Amino acid sequence: MKLLETTHNEWYVIERLEGPDEDCRRLLDLGFTPGEEVTVVQAVPFGDPMIVLLRGTRLALRRREASWIWVH
Amino acid sequence: MGSLKTHAGDIPSSSPESSSRSANSCLTVCLVGMPNAGKTTLMNALTGGGFQTANYPGVTVSLLKGKSKQEFGEVVDLVDLPGVHSAVSPSPEEELSCKVLEGRHPSVKPDAFVLVVDATQLERHLKFAGYAARQGKPVVVAVTMNDLLPRLGLELDSAKLAARLKLPVVAVDARSGEGAKELLQSVREQIEVSSDNELALLPSDPAEAYKKVRQLIEESNALRQTPGDKKTRFTDSFTTKVDSIVLHKFLGFPIFFLIFALLFASIFWFATPFMDAIDLGFSYLQKFISASLPESIITDFLAEGVVGGVGAVAVFFPQIVILFFLMTLLEDSGYLARGAALVDKPLSLLGLHGRSFVPMLSGFACAIPAVLATRAIPTKRERLLTIWIIPLMSCSARLPVYSLLLAALLVDEPSWKAGSALAAIYLASIIIGSITAGVVGKLLYKKRSLSLLAMEMPAYRIPQTKPILKITWTRSSSYLKKAGLPIVVVSSLLWLITNFGFALPASEQTSNPPSSSFIVKSDIDSSVAAQIGRKMEVVLRPMGVDWRVGVGLLSAFAAREVFVSSMAIVFHVTAGEDDEEAQQVGLLEQMKKATFANSSEKIFTPSTMVGLIVFFFFSLQCVSTVAVVARESSWRVATAQVVFYTGVGYLLSTLVVQGLRLAGVN
Repeated sequence: MKLLETTHNEWYVIERLEGPDEDCRRLLDLGFTPGEEVTVVQAVPFGDPMIVLLRGTRLALRRREASWIWVH
Repeated sequence: MGSLKTHAGDIPSSSPESSSRSANSCLTVCLVGMPNAGKTTLMNALTGGGFQTANYPGVTVSLLKGKSKQEFGEVVDLVDLPGVHSAVSPSPEEELSCKVLEGRHPSVKPDAFVLVVDATQLERHLKFAGYAARQGKPVVVAVTMNDLLPRLGLELDSAKLAARLKLPVVAVDARSGEGAKELLQSVREQIEVSSDNELALLPSDPAEAYKKVRQLIEESNALRQTPGDKKTRFTDSFTTKVDSIVLHKFLGFPIFFLIFALLFASIFWFATPFMDAIDLGFSYLQKFISASLPESIITDFLAEGVVGGVGAVAVFFPQIVILFFLMTLLEDSGYLARGAALVDKPLSLLGLHGRSFVPMLSGFACAIPAVLATRAIPTKRERLLTIWIIPLMSCSARLPVYSLLLAALLVDEPSWKAGSALAAIYLASIIIGSITAGVVGKLLYKKRSLSLLAMEMPAYRIPQTKPILKITWTRSSSYLKKAGLPIVVVSSLLWLITNFGFALPASEQTSNPPSSSFIVKSDIDSSVAAQIGRKMEVVLRPMGVDWRVGVGLLSAFAAREVFVSSMAIVFHVTAGEDDEEAQQVGLLEQMKKATFANSSEKIFTPSTMVGLIVFFFFSLQCVSTVAVVARESSWRVATAQVVFYTGVGYLLSTLVVQGLRLAGVN
C-alpha cells in the first residue's frame, strides 16, 4: 500500500518509489530507500502535508509525495 | 605547508576580505552540512561571535565569514555554507554549496571542509558527509547536538566512530565552545596528511550508501543505548508532544495566528520609540549641519538631500532588527518550519510553496529582506512567483502614507474607523496577493505546482541568545547596505530636481548643460520636478489630482514614506518642520484648502483620497526593491514588476475615482 494510506504511528517497510523520476531520486537521497522503516506521525490541520519519521528525522511530506512511497 | 599557501592565494581578491586574506595567507575552511545541523552555532563558537556577511564575486547569497579565535591556535578563515538537504535537484542556496564542494565555484575555494553532523540523525548526515568527502578535499567531522541525544535515550562515543571512519570525528558543544580547539587542530592535521577515509569510499547510489553508513555506525559501536533507559524506536517524544499541540487539528491555526499576530504587534510597538528617536536624531543632525557649515547650496544639499535620505533608510532599521530577531528566534526554536508546513496546502494551491510563507511575512515589514528570503525556495518558478507578489504585502513604508490619507479622509470621525480601515488594507493585501499569485501562476505555468516539499521538521530546542543576536545583527546590517545606497542616491536626486529649475524651457534640457546659467536654484513651484509634474498633469487628472500630488508620487519612488514630507514641501507647509504631528496637522489643513489652479475645485475629495490609497496599495514605488529584485532574478522581471504594479495601480485608482464620482461620491 501507499504510505499515504497507512495507519498513523505504525511502522512500515519501504518497498519502492513510484513517481516523477527527479523527485524520487531526491526522496531516495533524503533516505527513503527500499527496506527502510518509516511511520506517519500525524497530519497538519489541512490533512496535507503529513509528518513522517524516517531515520530519526521528522519530515513534512505532501500527500502526493506520500502516495509515491509504497510500503508493506 | 608551502603548497597550501598557494591554495589560499588562488582566491581572487575581489572583496576586501579576501584581499586581506591573501596577504595573511591563512587557510580557508568551509562548514558544510544539512540544514539545522547547527553550523551557524558552531560558526559562532569557533569565531567567538566575530563573523559577518561577506559578498563573494559570483555569489548572490551573502555567506557568513569570520576568523577563528586566537586561543584555538593558528587562525583560519571560516566560511559557513548554506545547508544542503540533497545534491539532487538543489535549490539556489543548495546549488551554491554543491558548487563549492565540487570545486566548481570560481571564487570560494576552501582548503578543507568541516562536515557538520547532527548526532541525533547520524545516518542521514553521514550519508551527506559522504558526498562532501568524495570531492577530494581534506575533511573533518564535527558532531553537534550531542545534548539532544539523552532525549532519544542514546549516547555517542566519537572516538569509536572516528576509528571506524578512519577520519577525525570531534564532538563539539557549540554552547560552551567545548571541542572547538580540538576540531581546528584536527583540520590543520588533516590538511597536512590527508588520509583515506571510509566516508569518501561511500557508494554514490543512495540506497547502497545508506546501507554502508548504517553498517559503519553499527561496526563502530559508537552509538549506544543509555543503560536502564528504554525508549521506543529512539524517537524524540518531547518534539512529538509539542507537534501534537502546535499542529493540532483545531488548535494548530489559532496558535499559528496568535504567534504571528504577536510578532507583528511587537514589530510595530517595540519599534516605535526607537524610530522616533532616530527621526529626532536625524533632524538634529540636519540642523547641526545647516548651522555649522557656511550657508550654501552644498550645505542645503548635504543636510536635506543626503542626510534626509540616510534618515529615510535608518528610520525603518528598528523594525527590521526586531523582525529578523523574532524570525531567527522562531527559526531556531523549530517552530518556523511548522508554520511553513501549516500553510503549505493553501499556498501550494496558489502555485507557491510552504517556504514562501517567511518571505511573504517579512514583506509586511520591508520587501528587501523578503526578496532575499526567497532563496530558500527550492524551485525557480515558486521563487519567482513569491518575488512577484512580495510588493503587494503592505510594507511599513506605506504606513505613514496610509495614516496621512486616512486622517484626511476620516476627519472628525472616531479613530477606530481609521484603525479598521488600516486593518482592512492589510487584510486586502494578503487576499489580493493570493489572487495575484493564483492568476499569474496560472498564466505563466500551465500545470499546478509540482515541486517537492519534503521539508525537515527540526527538533524543538531552546534558542541560544548569543548566536541569534549575532545573526540578527549581520542580517540587519546587510539590509542597511543593500537598501541604503539606492535610497540615498534617489533622495539626493529628488532634492536636486525639487530645488533647481531650468532657466530655459524644459525642452532644452540636456544631461550636461554647458553652463550653470541654465539651471538656477528655485523654489519648488518652478523646479524641474514641478515642470515634470505639470507635464504629467494630463495623466494625473483622471486620478483626480494635480501636479503637486504628482511631485509627491514621483518622490515616493525613493521610499514610499517620502510622499508625506514632499507633500509638505509642495503644499508649502511651514508649521512644525521638526515635529511630525504639527507637520501633519499643517499638511491636513493645506490639503483641505487645496484647489486646482485657476479654479475653486477641491483636490482632496473623498474619491481622490481613496484613489490615492488604491494607488499606493498596488504601485511598486521603491527603487531599492527594484534593485534587489533585479539582482535576485533579472532586470526583465524587475522592470516587468514596476510596469505591472504601477500600471495596475494607476488604472485601478483612476477607475475607483471615476467610479466613485459616477456613484455620487465627490
